[in-house]
Amino acid sequence: MIISSNDAIALIDANNFYASCEQNINPNLRNKAVVILSNNDGCIIARSPEARALKIKMGTPYFKIKEKLNKLDVAVLSSNYSLYGDMSRRLMNLLKNYCEEIEIYSIDEAFVSISRANDKNLYPWARNIRSLIYQNLGITITVGIGENKVRAKIANNLAKNIDYSAGIFDLARTRNENNYLKRISVDKIWGVGKQTYNWLQSKGIKNAKELRDMEENEITKKLGISGKRLQLELKGYKCLPIEKNKKSKKEIQVSRSFGTPVTKLEDLTQALATHAIKASEKMRSQNLQSSNIRVFARTRKYSSQNYQRSAHRKLINATDDTNSILKIVVELSKEIYNPEYKFSKAGVLMQDLTNSKYLQQSVINYKSQKDLKKSAILMRTIDLLNKRFNNNAITWAITKTTKSWTMNKNFLSRSSTTDIEQIPTIVK
Amino acid sequence: MDLFNSTTKRFRIPLLNDSVSAGFPSPADDYTEENIDLNEHLISNPFSTFFLRVKGESMRNAGIKDKDLIIVDKSLIAKPGDIVIAMIDGEFTIKRLSIKNDELYLKAENDNYPDFSFKNHIDVQIWGVVIYSIHSYL
Repeated sequence: MIISSNDAIALIDANNFYASCEQNINPNLRNKAVVILSNNDGCIIARSPEARALKIKMGTPYFKIKEKLNKLDVAVLSSNYSLYGDMSRRLMNLLKNYCEEIEIYSIDEAFVSISRANDKNLYPWARNIRSLIYQNLGITITVGIGENKVRAKIANNLAKNIDYSAGIFDLARTRNENNYLKRISVDKIWGVGKQTYNWLQSKGIKNAKELRDMEENEITKKLGISGKRLQLELKGYKCLPIEKNKKSKKEIQVSRSFGTPVTKLEDLTQALATHAIKASEKMRSQNLQSSNIRVFARTRKYSSQNYQRSAHRKLINATDDTNSILKIVVELSKEIYNPEYKFSKAGVLMQDLTNSKYLQQSVINYKSQKDLKKSAILMRTIDLLNKRFNNNAITWAITKTTKSWTMNKNFLSRSSTTDIEQIPTIVK
Repeated sequence: MDLFNSTTKRFRIPLLNDSVSAGFPSPADDYTEENIDLNEHLISNPFSTFFLRVKGESMRNAGIKDKDLIIVDKSLIAKPGDIVIAMIDGEFTIKRLSIKNDELYLKAENDNYPDFSFKNHIDVQIWGVVIYSIHSYL
């Protein structure tokens, strides 16, 4: 249960990541209050420090605050995932050069391990990596260092909330640890969910110090092995390893919310077909093939008419061929359609993925090698053309009719770092 | 999303290898993998390199013209003599970082355009160093 290793663990995350990405590539947004809206321009999911200072709250629905934002001259943007994804890829690759191991935890945070031989002071390392990331990407990061993941996460929280920390905090190198742990309320501890939080509240356990010092048996009895592990990590033992290769994916999902609710079969099919094309392309880019294709659609989550359905088709031969997949998805969309409901979201899942490099064709339903090769060449050519020219230079006719269902992205910024047609212009 | 491979991966389509037609194999089949990749030769720090497009003639004397494609490496620390991209007053600007009388300023490489003194502007940020410009002659 306890890993013996002297490596320190750091949790590194980007401050105001989405807003920073936007501000760094668009001079117009520099030093300006910026908010980013969720998919479909629903509510505020990210704010620049300037917007924070204006006391604009996370999660506020856009329509409720539209006028206020206008009055305050706040820049409003739809979420631009091609930009954030690209900046995240750059960030993680740069971090990789400055640590032993890295576990990408989300789009803007990573656990890394660094050797702490001879009880080395890691502040110079952290300051270096922090200024390096700022220089290279214009993004400010926070570095929390500890003996393990749980304490690294706490240290990150302290780095953000202690004024003199300058974005770096090492929990393993502090003299009055108890005072710091007391500042961390239990719901801020990594791994404490709603239920655990309620139970701890009922026991009068309010902060990280109290949880660390709680009676061991009591924790294990209620929370089992995961609770014991959590307490051990709070005490400074290492139980949770860095998971480097968490990326072997079990499924690929492409789903979107609709701009306006969908009631017609034609629209549902078209949306699902568009997602299927995207999903097949994703599979091919990772050398994967699917032998279980699933589609789903649902109504609004909290609406009175709650309906959701999915349907799937198992295949004898795994495939990544868009043509074959489209045929199946079109059939499946008829199975899940119901004219009585307004759909607000639909998606396609590619399941039972296998690596196409080790592809085994079953003897039954044997397709000639020639056909397979032809389809593979066609798919690769389409992928290449779409990559070289803009996305969807070539697509399937089924997606090309009018789209009433597409997601609202009324304030989308440009794909400034990934599309040659959309790179920034130097005007002077 | 495979964060490490999504765009660093290069697309090569050696069509010769995969050709379906029957007949004799091409003697060049084994050599079709090698392409010249400009990314490899022009960009040494791919994760801090960005592309921008020039509009206007303010850097004409430096050989940078309207519509040129500019490759910027943000990891480099700008030094006098470098051509740099700066963010000034809500716009991207391209100039040569220069020194006159012990003072840094941004020099336009075209007499019809003004130089830029840091004194008059509070909010100037050197955004990156230009490593290449690509001009089309077509």
